[in-house]
Amino acid sequence: MAQEESQFEEFEQIDFLRDRHVRFFQRTLQVLPERYASLETTRLTVMFFALSGLDVLDALDVVDRDVMIEWIYSLQVLPTEDKSNLSRCGFRGSSHIGIPYSTKGPGVLHPYDSGHVAMTYTGLCSLLILGDDLSRVNKQACLAGLRALQLEDGSFYAVPEGSENDIRFIYCAASICYMLDDWSGMDIQKAIEYIRGSLSYDNGFGQGAGRESHGGWTYCAIASLCLMGRLEEALSQRELDRIRRWCVMRQQSGFHGRPNKPEDTCYSFWVGATLELLDVFRYTNFEKNRSFILSTQDRLVGGFAKWPDSHPDPLHAYLGLCGLSLIGEPDLRKVHPALNITERAFQHLQQLQQTPIAVSTIDLTKRPTSGTWFEVRLENNFSVEQYKPSSKLRQEEKRRAVGGREKLPSVD
Amino acid sequence: MHGRVKVKTTAQQEEEKRKEREKKLKIYVAARDACFSKRTDGVLDEEALQLTQQLLSSNPDFATLWNYRREILMHQETIKDEDEVQNIYEAELLFLESCLKVNPKSYGSWHHRSWVSARLPRPDWSRELSLCDRCLSLDDRNFHCWDYRRMVVRMSGVPVDKELEFTDRLIGSNFSNYSSWHYRSTLLPLLHPESPEPPSPCRQPQSSPPPSPQTQSHRVCEEQLLKEYELVQNAFFTDPNDQSAWFYYRWLLGRAEREEMISCVYVSREEERVAVAFSRPVNAQSVGLFLVLDGQPQRVEWRSVHPRFKQSPVWICDLPPGTINDISNEHNLTVHWTEKHTHRDCALYTGRTESWCRDTATDQELFRSELSVEKTSVLQSELQSVNQLQELEPLNKWCLLTIILLMRALDPLGYEKETLAHFQTLKEVDSMRSAYYNDLCSKFMIENTILKMEYAEVRVFSISDRNLTTLCHLDQLLLVTHINLSSNQLQRLPPQFAMLQCLEVLEADNNCIENLEGVYHLLRLEEVSLRNNKISTPADLKPLASCRKLKRLDLRGNPVTQSPDVESELSELLPSVTDLLL
Repeated sequence: MAQEESQFEEFEQIDFLRDRHVRFFQRTLQVLPERYASLETTRLTVMFFALSGLDVLDALDVVDRDVMIEWIYSLQVLPTEDKSNLSRCGFRGSSHIGIPYSTKGPGVLHPYDSGHVAMTYTGLCSLLILGDDLSRVNKQACLAGLRALQLEDGSFYAVPEGSENDIRFIYCAASICYMLDDWSGMDIQKAIEYIRGSLSYDNGFGQGAGRESHGGWTYCAIASLCLMGRLEEALSQRELDRIRRWCVMRQQSGFHGRPNKPEDTCYSFWVGATLELLDVFRYTNFEKNRSFILSTQDRLVGGFAKWPDSHPDPLHAYLGLCGLSLIGEPDLRKVHPALNITERAFQHLQQLQQTPIAVSTIDLTKRPTSGTWFEVRLENNFSVEQYKPSSKLRQEEKRRAVGGREKLPSVD
Repeated sequence: MHGRVKVKTTAQQEEEKRKEREKKLKIYVAARDACFSKRTDGVLDEEALQLTQQLLSSNPDFATLWNYRREILMHQETIKDEDEVQNIYEAELLFLESCLKVNPKSYGSWHHRSWVSARLPRPDWSRELSLCDRCLSLDDRNFHCWDYRRMVVRMSGVPVDKELEFTDRLIGSNFSNYSSWHYRSTLLPLLHPESPEPPSPCRQPQSSPPPSPQTQSHRVCEEQLLKEYELVQNAFFTDPNDQSAWFYYRWLLGRAEREEMISCVYVSREEERVAVAFSRPVNAQSVGLFLVLDGQPQRVEWRSVHPRFKQSPVWICDLPPGTINDISNEHNLTVHWTEKHTHRDCALYTGRTESWCRDTATDQELFRSELSVEKTSVLQSELQSVNQLQELEPLNKWCLLTIILLMRALDPLGYEKETLAHFQTLKEVDSMRSAYYNDLCSKFMIENTILKMEYAEVRVFSISDRNLTTLCHLDQLLLVTHINLSSNQLQRLPPQFAMLQCLEVLEADNNCIENLEGVYHLLRLEEVSLRNNKISTPADLKPLASCRKLKRLDLRGNPVTQSPDVESELSELLPSVTDLLL
């Protein structure tokens, strides 16, 4: 018993420097160092990392919500008077093109101004995190802009002028449709075909057909299918088991993204969340995962880096926190593994969409659900009284989440 | 006084930095605005190329500028002759090389290079291939480069066997080259495809999910397969700890999905109920499922066994009252799965209270179908080789996993003891994943028990004292009447447990069960024994209220027995139970 206690203490001593991380994200929201200049075109994603990071830390009180919300809306590419630019709508990454600041329509036509699918995705997430009700989002314009980005093979461009196309942008598209609660923004069947075609011989997913499997793309594949509510339709039990196996093998102490590559903090989320969506996060070793993530913590400036003894950056800082949240680090909010926002922000979204527990037959086109992270839907023959989700199951989920800490490591 | 160097103060340094930043910003804004005003004016000239080049050199991820550049280049194509265009694009390739030197992982740069290569009047593919070689020699895992190389190969028509030789060279010089093995996996089926008539029946193309590299269309012919085994064995004998070769080997040994079908139809006369088991989870409402009784289509409502499941391998429906309950009548039932153009018949004979028709696990080779090379002799020789390696490298987890895989393919029941021993070793050498191995081992033990049950043609499933940590293949247990799961490490009877529609007796003593979600709507269930588990409140037993025939319930040794008023609460919750043991 004494031995167990001291192991527990040692475990606690790799301490988590919450306040440093709060300040790290605060600085991120104010000014970025020069070496981040190349991220200017994607500045909204950097803001998302900081905002969602603060949300996970339960420190959103340091943010001026209204100012942030206005800035995000100023990035919306709105329809022009004559609505000739609908296929180019969405959100842009920053003001780098030089469009005059405006949070209201009608939009201004500019030959190179268009939405970027990852900016629309992170823009919507950021608005939700800030508690906005999305009422100023021109939903139809966003969806039209999204439709314009999908190719015949089911994948998406990032921008309507064209760019590389692959599974990352399918994930962005699925998230957008989920948040706007409208799947007319994409052809789900084609997207599923592309995803299936990206499954590699070793049972991870590549960016597209014939490409090497990778933890990030595997997350995009599985999370997209979960958001669409098609996980078990698109993949057989055997395939799902094999994918689980590939993912489980990514843990070294932390996680890496591909075999024979070094571990990297962000994969504690990409692979960890995939395992959570596949219901087998319990197969991972929480203690080793935690130790690795904390070894990349920057004790001076806060944040996390991809490797130990490297410079922290907002992406790894955010995903490092998410990785810790998955294993149940105390005082961190839980993160929704498919949508990659806190459960709190997710509940705000659910309230906006006003989803009741339905008694009638499910409309499959409307609200795809799957697994334990989405609400339980009831079949038509069972009324609400006969079945309520067991509170014990919630407890079990919680316990499972912190289980890695209570379960002391076996002999190594 | 003399020679004292003036040291700049911090404030001064700050000011200088600020001025420099402003200067840079001015230059950037000027260049950007110049670019866009040119664009707005429809100017697509060389000066514009210069401007964008400046900006892109410092920020190759400014996607809009690449697009502008592409517009300019396309415009130049219309006003210059072929030689001039060739020069322009070659200069472009040179520019791109310098960009890639700075950032070899920029999506923008690689994408643009692909675009340029495709438009060059006289492309030099061998130069492109050598660029890839150089790039890969610096970082053989740069997937941008690999993807670009694939495009070059496609555009230039490099024959597959040449590329296969390329992977031979790379692998030969360094077995630990995961990207090369991956590339090989995509080339091999192209060069040596499996014969057009695969052994198991084809699915209808339009209704099944499209193929992925695991499925039949990407398989490799047997002759080449054997050569590959040799290559891979060399690799993992040389460096057993590198996972590249093991993953590739596993793929070679692997197999496509089994046939989709209705695996079982069960009819009960008394309850006038039909249960259907599919080979995979389906949504009965959307797959075109219908029922024909004595030649008459029946309007029925299908429900899954548990409200949690929209997709389930087992579905139930009730027949209209009076249709089949007269025991002196014979009935013929057919269930059609129209989406897959398949069906299953079931005859309910006179004097019989129930009937079923199924494909057995043994006939379907459900659990053995992991490996593609049917020939036992080949698998045995592979097993021998890997066993040899295991003697030299007893702590190598890949070796152990592969041996287990081969043994399960050859003779799951015969090798049961060895398999258990290897799992023990595996949990020791790779303790980080012991939870995964426990579940995997549980799965194999359940498979073996199912096989034994089928060989003996009984409906009793008994698997006690086997360290089971999880339950699976519950869809195979539709017909089971008695189940014994005692003395294991189960924590729950999950919703899938509700697939045991014929269950009459459940024994699960000496586990850690706290959740009974799956003991739900089991209308034949009469006896449940859950001694020495972790059931803690009467609410945990709620699902049992739906099992209306439940008479005997043994809860001794559970924390719930210490609850105040437990007896009265349970008798209210479970009125049918006459024999309650606390």
